[in-house]
Amino acid sequence: MKKIVLIEASPKIGEGSTSGYLIKLAEKYLGSYGADKTLISVRQSLRKKNNDEDFESISNAEALIIAFPLYIYCLPGLLMRYLQDYLQYYKKKETASRHPRVYAVVNCGFPEPGINLEAVRVIRSFSRSIGAEFRFGVMIGKGGMVLNVKDAPFMKNKLDKVFESIAEDIFRGSKEEKQNIIIDLSFPRWLYFFMGNRNWFSLARKNGLRKKDLYRQPY
Amino acid sequence: MRATIISDKEFRTILYQNLENSTLNFLKGRGFDTEIIEIGREALNFCMGCFDCWVKKPGECIVNDLVSHINRRFIGSDAVIYLSPVVFGQFSANMKNAIDRWLPNMLPFFQQRPDGSTMHPSRYSYVPKLVIIGYGEDISDEDRQLFIDITEKHRRNVDVLIFDNPLNDVSKELSKIRLEKLEGKL
Repeated sequence: MKKIVLIEASPKIGEGSTSGYLIKLAEKYLGSYGADKTLISVRQSLRKKNNDEDFESISNAEALIIAFPLYIYCLPGLLMRYLQDYLQYYKKKETASRHPRVYAVVNCGFPEPGINLEAVRVIRSFSRSIGAEFRFGVMIGKGGMVLNVKDAPFMKNKLDKVFESIAEDIFRGSKEEKQNIIIDLSFPRWLYFFMGNRNWFSLARKNGLRKKDLYRQPY
Repeated sequence: MRATIISDKEFRTILYQNLENSTLNFLKGRGFDTEIIEIGREALNFCMGCFDCWVKKPGECIVNDLVSHINRRFIGSDAVIYLSPVVFGQFSANMKNAIDRWLPNMLPFFQQRPDGSTMHPSRYSYVPKLVIIGYGEDISDEDRQLFIDITEKHRRNVDVLIFDNPLNDVSKELSKIRLEKLEGKL
């Protein structure tokens, strides 16, 4: 049975995250291939006094799928901390690790999926540092909408195809170079802007703030 | 004139010490009131993407740690210099935490840049000149290019410098950059 580690790196606490949803979806698809899956929440793993057991799972994996949101154009600090710590663990390890295949699934709040490209390149660089084989990234734009439309056919079909292709790539062991997958939701950009902007005012009102309060300059 | 150096004290290499000292000496020599903020592993909480800095306490992070001082100092500076190890072609974890938690300084709204890409506008009319110095003894060409792309591609008020040798002359490079506040174009 192939050992696959699914790494969920949403920094959010106590609320549903897009990365959490995506990693669960990956888990479902891999299940149909009979994989031996381990799910790691980066936030929870970092809180452990000793996360060697999680690092051990990563170093024994044949494939790693890392799902995370884009923060200020790149990996969130939480995930950087985890990958940096893992690199230290990997360097100290005496026995040789496997050379897992690595996949990055990145979603951003901006409409353009291409903004995720540098984050995918960072995961490629990380893969090189640990002797792993980076395969491809999945770049999702308009990430703020994913959970709202996850069951709509246009979204579901796209995501189904993505995770099917990751599962296939892992189990077929393909050596061919693959391009990153772009997921661009068919939704007008102007409407996404309009709804996004309106949402901030609505959230502020719920917190007892007025429209102009959003523009405060405390410093 | 006020300047701030933000650095990562997790990697105390000779290169780091030299860069920090040379940058400090350069800024002091130019008459800047300069503060160094060194960030350690436990200094900052991770940004948790709650957006309370936009819709609950606009402009301020609700987590009370070193970041309140960093952001206040940032906005009050004419120039801010980040000294970051280049890790996997990106900012190190400690530096990325400081950058993630810079979010309160932006407004939540989407805006289109002249090139058609999306951005969040600055909360402030004027922002400090930003210089990002990446360093490391053994940076691959690919990571070097990635670090430049990450920092330059999405920002308009930034200069990026990369150093891999303690003998590199940081003063010479900094002297080519105008270190003064800019209109809030991020």
